[in-house]
Amino acid sequence: MVSKETCRNELRVAIRQLSDRCLYSAAKWAGEQLVGIEQDPSNSTPSNTRFQRGSSSIRRRFSTNESISTPQPSVGFLQAATPLPEEDEAIDGDLYLLAKAYFDNREYRRASHVLRDQMSKKSVFLRCYALYLAGEKRKEEEMIELEGPLGKSDAINRELVSLERELSALRRTGGIDSFGLYLYGVVLKEKGNESLARASLVESVNSYPWNWSAWSELQSLCTSIEILNSLNLNNHWMKEFFLGYAYQELRMHTESLAKYSYLQGIFSFSNYIQAQTAKAQYSLREFDQVEIMFEGLLRNDPYRVEDMDLYSNVLYAKEACAALSYLAHKVFLTDKYRPESCCIIGNYYSLKGQHEKAVMYFRRALKLNKKYLSAWTLMGHEYVEMKNTPAAIDAYRRAVDINPCDYRAWYGLGQAYEMMGMPFYALHYFRKSIFFLPNDSRLWIAMAKCYQTEQLYMLEEAIKCYKRAVNSTDSEGIALNQLAKLHQKLGRNEEAAFYFEKDLGRMDAEGLEGPNMFEALVFLATHFKTHKKFEEAEVYCTRLLDYSGPEKEKAKSLLRGIRMAQTGFPTMDLEHFPI
Amino acid sequence: MAGLTRTAGAFAVTPHKISVCILLQIYAPSAQMSLPFPFSSVSQHNRLGLYLLSITKSCNDIFEPKLEELINQLREVGEDMGAWLTDHLINRFSSLASPDDLLNFFNDMRGILGSLDSGVVQDDQIILDPNSNLGMFVRRCILAFNLLSFEGVCHLFSSIEVYCKEGHSSSTQFDASNNKLGPLTQYDQMDMESYAMDKATEELELHKNARGSVPFHLHTAEALFEVTEEQMQHAGLLDTRKETSRTSKKSTEATAVACASSSTLEDTLVDDSLFLRTNLQIQGFLMEQADAIEIHGRSSSFSSSSIESFLEQLQNLAPELHRVHFLRYLNKLHSDDYFAALDNLLRYFDYSAGTEGFDLVPPSTGCSMYGRYEIALLCLGMMHFRFGHPNLALEVLTEAVRVSQQLSNDTCLAYTLAAMSNLLSEMGIASTGSVLGSLYSPVTSTASSLSVQQRVYILLKESLRKADSLKLRRLVASNHLAMAKFELMHVQRPLLSFGPKASTRHKTCPVSVCKEIRLGAYLVSDFSSESSTMTIDGSLSSAWLKDLQKPWGLPLISKDSDSRKSSTFFQFYDHLVSIPGSVSQLIGASYLLRATSWELYGSAPMARINTLVYVTLFGDSSSSSDAELAYLKLIQHLALYKGYKDAFAALKIAEEKFLTVSKSKILLLKLQLLHERALHCGNLKLAHRMCNELGGLASTAMGVDMELKVEASLREARTLLAAKQYSQAANVAHSLFCTCHKFNLQIEKASVLLLLAEIHKKSGNAVLGLPYALASISFCQSFNLDLLKASATLTLAELWLGLGSNHAKRALDLLHGAFPMILGHGGLELRARAYIFEANCYLSDPSFSVSTDPDTVLDSLRQASDDLQTLEYHELAAEASYLMAMVNDKLGRFEEREEAAALFKRHIIALENPQDVEQNMA
Repeated sequence: MVSKETCRNELRVAIRQLSDRCLYSAAKWAGEQLVGIEQDPSNSTPSNTRFQRGSSSIRRRFSTNESISTPQPSVGFLQAATPLPEEDEAIDGDLYLLAKAYFDNREYRRASHVLRDQMSKKSVFLRCYALYLAGEKRKEEEMIELEGPLGKSDAINRELVSLERELSALRRTGGIDSFGLYLYGVVLKEKGNESLARASLVESVNSYPWNWSAWSELQSLCTSIEILNSLNLNNHWMKEFFLGYAYQELRMHTESLAKYSYLQGIFSFSNYIQAQTAKAQYSLREFDQVEIMFEGLLRNDPYRVEDMDLYSNVLYAKEACAALSYLAHKVFLTDKYRPESCCIIGNYYSLKGQHEKAVMYFRRALKLNKKYLSAWTLMGHEYVEMKNTPAAIDAYRRAVDINPCDYRAWYGLGQAYEMMGMPFYALHYFRKSIFFLPNDSRLWIAMAKCYQTEQLYMLEEAIKCYKRAVNSTDSEGIALNQLAKLHQKLGRNEEAAFYFEKDLGRMDAEGLEGPNMFEALVFLATHFKTHKKFEEAEVYCTRLLDYSGPEKEKAKSLLRGIRMAQTGFPTMDLEHFPI
Repeated sequence: MAGLTRTAGAFAVTPHKISVCILLQIYAPSAQMSLPFPFSSVSQHNRLGLYLLSITKSCNDIFEPKLEELINQLREVGEDMGAWLTDHLINRFSSLASPDDLLNFFNDMRGILGSLDSGVVQDDQIILDPNSNLGMFVRRCILAFNLLSFEGVCHLFSSIEVYCKEGHSSSTQFDASNNKLGPLTQYDQMDMESYAMDKATEELELHKNARGSVPFHLHTAEALFEVTEEQMQHAGLLDTRKETSRTSKKSTEATAVACASSSTLEDTLVDDSLFLRTNLQIQGFLMEQADAIEIHGRSSSFSSSSIESFLEQLQNLAPELHRVHFLRYLNKLHSDDYFAALDNLLRYFDYSAGTEGFDLVPPSTGCSMYGRYEIALLCLGMMHFRFGHPNLALEVLTEAVRVSQQLSNDTCLAYTLAAMSNLLSEMGIASTGSVLGSLYSPVTSTASSLSVQQRVYILLKESLRKADSLKLRRLVASNHLAMAKFELMHVQRPLLSFGPKASTRHKTCPVSVCKEIRLGAYLVSDFSSESSTMTIDGSLSSAWLKDLQKPWGLPLISKDSDSRKSSTFFQFYDHLVSIPGSVSQLIGASYLLRATSWELYGSAPMARINTLVYVTLFGDSSSSSDAELAYLKLIQHLALYKGYKDAFAALKIAEEKFLTVSKSKILLLKLQLLHERALHCGNLKLAHRMCNELGGLASTAMGVDMELKVEASLREARTLLAAKQYSQAANVAHSLFCTCHKFNLQIEKASVLLLLAEIHKKSGNAVLGLPYALASISFCQSFNLDLLKASATLTLAELWLGLGSNHAKRALDLLHGAFPMILGHGGLELRARAYIFEANCYLSDPSFSVSTDPDTVLDSLRQASDDLQTLEYHELAAEASYLMAMVNDKLGRFEEREEAAALFKRHIIALENPQDVEQNMA
């Protein structure tokens, strides 16, 4: 276990170093983690305590996660404490200071020009980084300028080639530090050289683990668990953050939750960890918990926009209109030109049934970020609602082409085609979505329904799908009921009875009632009666008598029949009669 | 979404277009003079005009030519003034020093256009008519430039810099080489050339005017259609009968074309300048590529990876051009990559909703809101079909039928029904009960009792009716072909659903087959209404520009002797009359079908003529699989009528041409030939091996590759028969008969029955053989299989003779009845057998005496012996020599007797030592 003190000290130095190199988002992340560590008693200020008081109250409410108190270090912890690198120049050159000022004013080219003859590693990094950003900025502009009717002409960052040449030369001569390696990795990734990019990034994080930007770039290059496992990473507490994030993106939610709950032992008040935990819980469909966590997050950090689209999804699922509108209003005031904000507003309109407006906001989100996956998918849902299937299909397809693992979009495609009466065509898409999320009963049920349509009527396949759904915890109990009905339809009464009984047991356990229950009871009573198992038949009949309606009459007549049959066999043991 | 509303009109100013504008300024300067400064003659001036017209319209590539290429072309066109043109061009570019110069340049451009209202045109004034092609081009350029924002102008400016930098190196090199070129001009020839071109352009203009606007999305419809059609051809013409061929010099030509097209592809890959041509030109180019994939798709000279990489490039440049996905699908389809093909197909339809590229139905029908996903189903079905998943294909097509009925898309329905009937007739699916039942309620009650053939018939009729009412000429034509094929292969039984008035003929009727074929071909010739819009815009110009690459010095007359040239001439001609590739394919297919039908009916010369017509006229435009089939037929013909030596020589040529094609049927043919020859030579081991290999080619799935399977077991039975294992041979033949019955392969039934008769004959059970022979004859009669009937009659006669010499007279009568057919159309083996049998009959006839009429017998035997020698059929040849020796012995001609005896000995030795023959075969 790393001591909180070490983490704190390391982070404090790292923040200074990162912001000195203008790696602001990494510095931001490090800062969040720094205050996420339990309060430092040595320099507590009133404001600090106020902040922590708020968050601890949340923790008290949010006590479901027992594992916090007993963190399990999942990796053998013999962490070689990575020594903090010393600054190569204790005092920055004057030119560096000027360049940094230019950089902070977003005059990237100017910044890199100032540093053109500086040879220190730090200056070289800043120059290259500024150049890279200048290229990126120009690329974004060109993308809009060159947009033709056939789509964008592929604008590229024109600095990449020269940057790659320079950085690779520097790397050969060893004139590059871990920040330069990070930049090199980014450049290589853009150029499409993924394996080399990975190697460079691994080297960077091994020598300087506190640069979260490097870790997240590395994560984006780990598209499969095999790649992740093949990385040769030094043990450091930052690696745990990385693994948690990487597991999450690889849809290994329980593993990632374990990582986060361990990290929470150190960074008990980290908003980041809380948000990530909420994300994982969301994927596991624990909406209530997620809502509580997000509420806490917002109280701590009321101007947070990151991840709030997820919160809005939860509110959407819970149909909490007021809360959603409140959230939308809040993020709108904070920063209306964030794709997340647009998404939240879109969700709100969607919930209110104003689909055209919803689509407009999703479009705006996509304008802000073309690769914003969830907006494409959500827009697809909206178009489905608007019965504009071709547009929906188009939107889903774009989502899938951005990330082929997006099972929601595959599922949406399947649904859209099924809506158009093309169930056989839709099956392919359902299969795809199930491939990426094989343990979700909803997907299996959707596929089974597809097989069940009157056009296909492939009941055997439907049964197979429902069975899979049952195996992967079907929370709504559709699968059991359908299985029973299908078996009944196919004349396999034994199997039907088995599933009806199971379904009945489930409904009993959850305290549910309804037409399904009547159906099950009636079937079971009749079934057992025809099989001369009068005892069981009677049990079900008497249960039916508790309800009013036609079922009651049916039960009565069944009971009468049973009595008749039993009196027909005088040898029957009369003791079993509940009189 | 975006894909739905996308229209034509992407016309961006690029450096290349500015080059063209500069040249146009030279061509038509605003100053008044009869002949502008650098031109020395009117023809030279015209030539530049034609060149400009071509480069504004050509579509031979997705990228615009670089400055270097342009300069090279100018050198070809401009001849002695090429250098001046190049210099002027480069100077003009270098004078563009700031964005402001661009602005001025386009202002100047306005000056070269004649004004619309000035009716008075002076005689020798050169004015660019604003409504002409070139004038339109200038106007579009000016408009596009005016629409540019300042950023756009800056981009244009910087791309001009890149463009000039690339061209610069080449132009200096050109200056050096220019002096050596010298004056190559031959004015006479050039005038003729430009005269021809004038006519060409006139024609082009006519087309343009007639057409009005060129439909934007055409390609996919055509590609789709081609896939259908190709499969129809597959379906229609798979039955390979024995026939032989003559080699054709065309083969080399076709490969040359293939190479050329692939090399142009390679060229595009090195490109890194990003100036796309106009939308229309890209569409045309994609269309051309689709044709190329179609024609050469499965031969290795056409590399699918190179086409793939440029498609990728194109997609990067124009992500909203969804048709690229379809092209990718076609490419993957032809390179047999199932998963990639599926993926691209689905992606294409997801993005385009099936509306980009389908002009089959006017969009006003109102269902465009829902997209045209039924077409996706149709394509998917055909894809499954092609990859050999008949059941999946059937499911998908059923869904396609349902959806198109729902959306009342009759066009798609017609195509789907046609595809479905193909599928059914090709795959021989045994259980299709539910398919039709759900589709046509009137037939529901009887549907389950219908045989597959009857279903095919219903589907075809329905498709034909729909296509006819929708005036889809080509579908009608291919349906007629399919119908002809159906009538050829299947007995017509009265269908319950067609009422009591339906005819009750139990036989196929050659007349109706012929009628269907003719109907098909006739309708195709009348394609003007549907397909004139199908011509690829600008392909003529592309061809013209390509011709620039060729040396100029050749006089026109010598072109005719040069086959390469004449082929380009034909291409050229093709472009002028604008027969779409698919139409000529369809006409070609009708000839192939004719050949097949003549094969079945037993007229070898007719079959050969039709195949030759096909190869000569349609060889260039046909898909590789069709061309292969034609070669196959010709080689089979050779083997049957000219012996194996010629056939194998021809096969070698065909192999070079086609063996690289995947799923090649050439391998099949080779095995067949080797098997036949091994049987004849008596090398049974080899025959057995070949037969097994043949069987191994067939897919293991039930009901797939039926023809191949039947063929394999037929050959197995024959091998067993040759090995004198009669009971086993009979077993195989019996089970084969059952298979044929199950899958309704009527024609095969006839030959199996004949084989059974042969087996009984050889095993000495003439009495048992008789019913089989008779049954075979009656089958042949009802299908009009004349040649097979003649051969069955021969067997029948042999059986009679086998019953005893007292039946010799009857046998002889039978034989003489069949003789005209056998001698006129039969192959070497059949003829020899007939001759020998005739001799046998005479010899065993007690009323016939050899000494009085020796020539009757000897002539026949000599004929037979000659035929068999070329065929290397040792067993029969030995028999013939033996008979000859005996007869000569009787007659006392000892010299001839010895000769025949020696021949006999040689054949017997060869029969016993087949190994040495095998050496040179393999």
